This record gives sequence, structure tokens and C-alpha cells, in this order.
Amino acid sequence: MKRILPIIIFVGLFVFLAKSLYQPQTNIPSPLIGKPMPTFSLSELNSDTSLTDNDILGAISLINVWATWCVGCEQEHSFLVELAANQTIDIPIIGINWKDRDDLALRWLSQRGDPYIVVLSDPIGKTAIDFGVYGAPETFLIDEQGVIHYKHIGPLDSEIFANNIMPIIQDLRR
Amino acid sequence: MKKVCLILLLISTQVNSIEGSEEITSQERELYQQIIQEVRCLVCQNQSVAESNADLAKDLRTEIMEQVKQGSSEEDIKSYLLLRYGDFVLYDPSFKKSTYILWLSPVLIILLILGWLRKIGVIGK
Repeated sequence: MKRILPIIIFVGLFVFLAKSLYQPQTNIPSPLIGKPMPTFSLSELNSDTSLTDNDILGAISLINVWATWCVGCEQEHSFLVELAANQTIDIPIIGINWKDRDDLALRWLSQRGDPYIVVLSDPIGKTAIDFGVYGAPETFLIDEQGVIHYKHIGPLDSEIFANNIMPIIQDLRR
Repeated sequence: MKKVCLILLLISTQVNSIEGSEEITSQERELYQQIIQEVRCLVCQNQSVAESNADLAKDLRTEIMEQVKQGSSEEDIKSYLLLRYGDFVLYDPSFKKSTYILWLSPVLIILLILGWLRKIGVIGK
């Protein structure tokens, strides 16, 4: 036993470290879960109208942080369009266009479809910092009062939505 | 070789440039430099915000500089970041319930090893 123990410890440690090495930490837990979303005042895409966090309250919604320079956003976009059109799920999606140009964003939406009920633009990225965003796309689930219930980092797809987000929405609606 | 060194030197000074560094006191500069070295860039996780050229790191540097200029303390700025990005954003996470294991595991492992060494008789009984 005395001789095997170091080997067991070594193998255990090796497996643990090797596993950590190949599983990059992409989903860092957000401290914002369970808290009200940060306050903001952003102008609507291609418009002078400003909206604040209070203006988007009142419905269980998704807030999707995206940009035209973001590869993952391209990947998830068709799913968002599909989701927005789904009347049984019936969830509004609010877009935050992050560090982008309005003209590029508008062209993107006219070419690929617009899943958003409103798109706010955050060209300097200050609101994104308040939301703890570090890699687009990121999607937040908020309730009627604006409390954040879930955050997904990376492209959204039907599987992630059905497994991780839909159950929370159903809970909230109950 | 000289050329290579020169290029490396140029790169290193470029990385250390300070966003919006006009009109700050040397104290403010020191605080700013200290904080950005302790904050992790979440996009490229093995670099600090001071080292990284990622867009987000630049934004965070600008934000930290602004707050330093406004006279925020080190704790203020760190808690601002913690509230948004969580413990992971600091290289030196605070000692609290969720980080007990992180801080105490080295001590625990050393104690275990000492105990084991004693048991097999490497160190005195």
C-alpha cells in the first residue's frame, strides 16, 4: 500500500490537471444571476431615441449581446430568427449591439432577418461591462421586473435553449 | 539579434501604454498600474488587463483609468469589477466562503504530506 499510494496520488493529480487543461473555462459563473439587471440608457439603433432599463421591463425577455464582427453571432442568428417567430414560446428578444457600427448592424439585420423587438447600440461598450460581458454572443434571461435569471455565453442553439433556458421560463410563467 | 531585441522592446512599451493618461498624478498612475496588473483579461485568460491587447481589456483599462481619475480607491474599483465579472476577474481572490477551498487546499496538502512522511518514517516519530 505504501508503495502504491504515491502512484495513486500522482495518477489522480495528473488526470485532474489534464482534464482542467483541456476544458478551458469558458462559462465563468456570473455574479449577476438573481440580481436586477444593471441600469443603462442607450440609443436605439440608427435613431436618437434613448431607452433605459426601465423601458424594457414588463415581460420575461431575452437580452442578446451581439455584433457584426462576432463569429459566434453569425452562427446563432438563424436560431434567434426562428425563436422570435415561434409563437408558442413567445419570448421577446432585446438586442444590444456591442462595439459596432449602426450601418453595419442595419445591413446585417436586413440581410439575415431581424429577431429583435428593439436593438440598442452600445458603441463604447460601457453597458456591456456593466452586464459583465466578455465575449459575444451573450444572452441573458430576465423576468418582468428585470431580474437576471440565466446567462449563456456563446452561440445559442435550440438544444441549449430547450435544456437550459426554457425550463426557467416555464418556472417563471407558472 | 539586436534587431530582434529592439522589436521586442518596442512591443513591450506599446503594450504598457496608458489609456487617456493625460493630466494624472504619479499616485494615480501608480494605483492604475497596480490594479490593471491584478485584473484578469477574461477574453485571454492567462493575461492581465495590463498585458492584453484584446478590445475588452482596452475598455476595462479605460474604465479603470476613469475611476482612478475620479478618485475611487483600490477597493472601490475592485468591487466594481467583482460585481460584474465575479471572483475570476481578480488574480488574488478575496478570502471568503466560496474560496475557502482555494486558499486552504495548499495548507491541507502540505499537512497530508507531512503526516504521510511521518507515517512512513522519513521524518522523526
